[in-house]
Amino acid sequence: MTLLLVEDDALLAETLTETLRLQGHEVCCLDDGSAAHERLAVPGHGLALVLLDLNLPGCGGLEVLEALRAHDRATPVLILTARGAVEDRVRGLDLGADDYLAKPFALDELEARVRALLRRRSPAAALTAGPLTLDIRQQRFTLEGEPLTLPPREQRLLACLMQHAGTPVDKARLAEEAFQGDAMGDNAIEVYVHRLRKRLAGSAVALRTVRGLGYLLEAE
Amino acid sequence: MTRGDSLSRRLLVWLLLPLLVLGSLMLLQAWFEARRTADRAFDRLLEAASLAIAEQVQWQDDRLWLDLPPAALEMLATDAEERVFYSLIDRRGRMITGNAELPGDQREAVSDDDTLLYRDVTWQGLSVRQGVRRTRLEDWQLREPFEVRVAHSREGRDALAAELWRANLAMILAMAALAIVALLLAIRTALAPLTRLRRAIRSRDPRTLAPLELRLPRELAELRDTVNELLARMRRVRANQERFIGDASHQLRTPLAGLSARAELALRQDDPARWREALVAMQATSSRTARLAMQLLSLTRLANPEYRPERAPLSLNAIAREAVREHWTACHRAGVDLGVATAAADVEILGIDWQLAEALGNLIDNARRYGARHVTIRVGEQPPSLSIEDDGPGIPAARRTLMLRPFHRDRDDLEGSGLGLAIVDGIARTHGARLAMSAGPGGVGLRVTLRFPGDSP
Repeated sequence: MTLLLVEDDALLAETLTETLRLQGHEVCCLDDGSAAHERLAVPGHGLALVLLDLNLPGCGGLEVLEALRAHDRATPVLILTARGAVEDRVRGLDLGADDYLAKPFALDELEARVRALLRRRSPAAALTAGPLTLDIRQQRFTLEGEPLTLPPREQRLLACLMQHAGTPVDKARLAEEAFQGDAMGDNAIEVYVHRLRKRLAGSAVALRTVRGLGYLLEAE
Repeated sequence: MTRGDSLSRRLLVWLLLPLLVLGSLMLLQAWFEARRTADRAFDRLLEAASLAIAEQVQWQDDRLWLDLPPAALEMLATDAEERVFYSLIDRRGRMITGNAELPGDQREAVSDDDTLLYRDVTWQGLSVRQGVRRTRLEDWQLREPFEVRVAHSREGRDALAAELWRANLAMILAMAALAIVALLLAIRTALAPLTRLRRAIRSRDPRTLAPLELRLPRELAELRDTVNELLARMRRVRANQERFIGDASHQLRTPLAGLSARAELALRQDDPARWREALVAMQATSSRTARLAMQLLSLTRLANPEYRPERAPLSLNAIAREAVREHWTACHRAGVDLGVATAAADVEILGIDWQLAEALGNLIDNARRYGARHVTIRVGEQPPSLSIEDDGPGIPAARRTLMLRPFHRDRDDLEGSGLGLAIVDGIARTHGARLAMSAGPGGVGLRVTLRFPGDSP
């Protein structure tokens, strides 16, 4: 599974390649837009993920992205750019990028995004958040190696939170996942969250409240 | 100046068109006048001829009798090749004598006595002027009525009319030529200041924004003053930009100097622990510098008066929620509790979503940086508003307006760039919103509110 990094700044390219290799990925690095265009414009590039800078010599990053998306909608693309304005982000995402990182970024952040995109590409059999895992096919949870049996609603709630682990999830969305359309008040969600918290207490995974919005599952 | 549309051409056309109409009317009038004059002159001849004939009519052998004197007809034949006709008709309408059977005139005579009626007739395919004189014998015992009809073809009249008209035509054409010359000169003179203004603008150095100094007539002076006002505005914008670029350069150079110095110092040392220390410091400085560069870009864009992105209907609740989702993790790591208080009903405004996201991002960032523990984004309904409340140290009322200026920072602020609030202010202005700062809930901390105009879609 090769990752393609298209980045013209030598220091950054070198650092990122090194980081990704240490994570166990094979990395191919290009420093020129035209070369990237050539590589990506035709099917059969055999790449698992593309990390794409927007400001490139030769051929702009958005053009490269457009050429890739003309024949390939599956390969995930993570845009890396110094153009931090949200406007550019929107344009990139409109053109079919999967995620966006504004330079400068923390290496941790980059690694997390790469992991998430690769996971999305080949949906794993299991979701993990710290010591908590969910076997998706069997809908079974394990906490610190011990099976964790839950009533159906708590199970669906936790599964939803695990899918979005690390980002806040709206209460409305949780209600829909957990009760699948049954009209239930916010209080009901609170009750289930309270119960889940008790079950997770003492482990390295925490269910946090995002005031006014919803909840978030976080591995410490 | 394109050939299709020019001021001098417009002036010329709109002055020449009425002149042309006027000239045509004058020519037409001259033509009719010439005709009338010629007719008057020749009608006198018809009158004289008919009178000469009538005077020769006598009563002999119980009938009218005419001995036509040649002079009577000769006076009707002018130099032109005219043909002359006459006939004498008795009371019963019979032709007594004559060289042609001229038609009668049905019109009633004005008086019973001697009358003469003129008219133009077409007779046997010939256009003639005819005079019909109804009169009586001037005999003391017999007053027999009779009619003398005289006619001649129009050559003489036409020749005279044409001659009269030609004289007039020459005069009118001369006047027209004079008028056109005068017009051209007048237009040129009147538009000369415009040419001077154009030359003055064209010969300017494109880099100078100095006002235009030249004397011009009132209408153009207004134009010149408008241009000068625009130039003055541009001078202010440029001065502002230059100050801003100077500030920005200074702001960027300072952390770079720090980085370079720290690296140099670390290179002089051999202790890996010191290296590590230096690297940590340098990483922090470089990310702060990067953020500063990004904010400078945002601010420059917002300050550009030509930059007018499209506004679309937006839900303030959605924007507030999205901001929390985006910034919650970073805040949580820094030990700040970020929350949202959305409005019960959805509040819609016309706006630019990414700009509002940036504004909220800057405000959350500021709150976190200045030591708040709890930060809340609040959506207001009447009027539509977005507020950020924190429980940090706040800003004293006297200094709040100062905070909106780019690069202004409080003295104890070591980390901020001084651009965050300036950016928020710029975004508020592109939305026609008012930025207000007050103490937070319970008089603690700071509340920054963006109040949007009420014209929600």
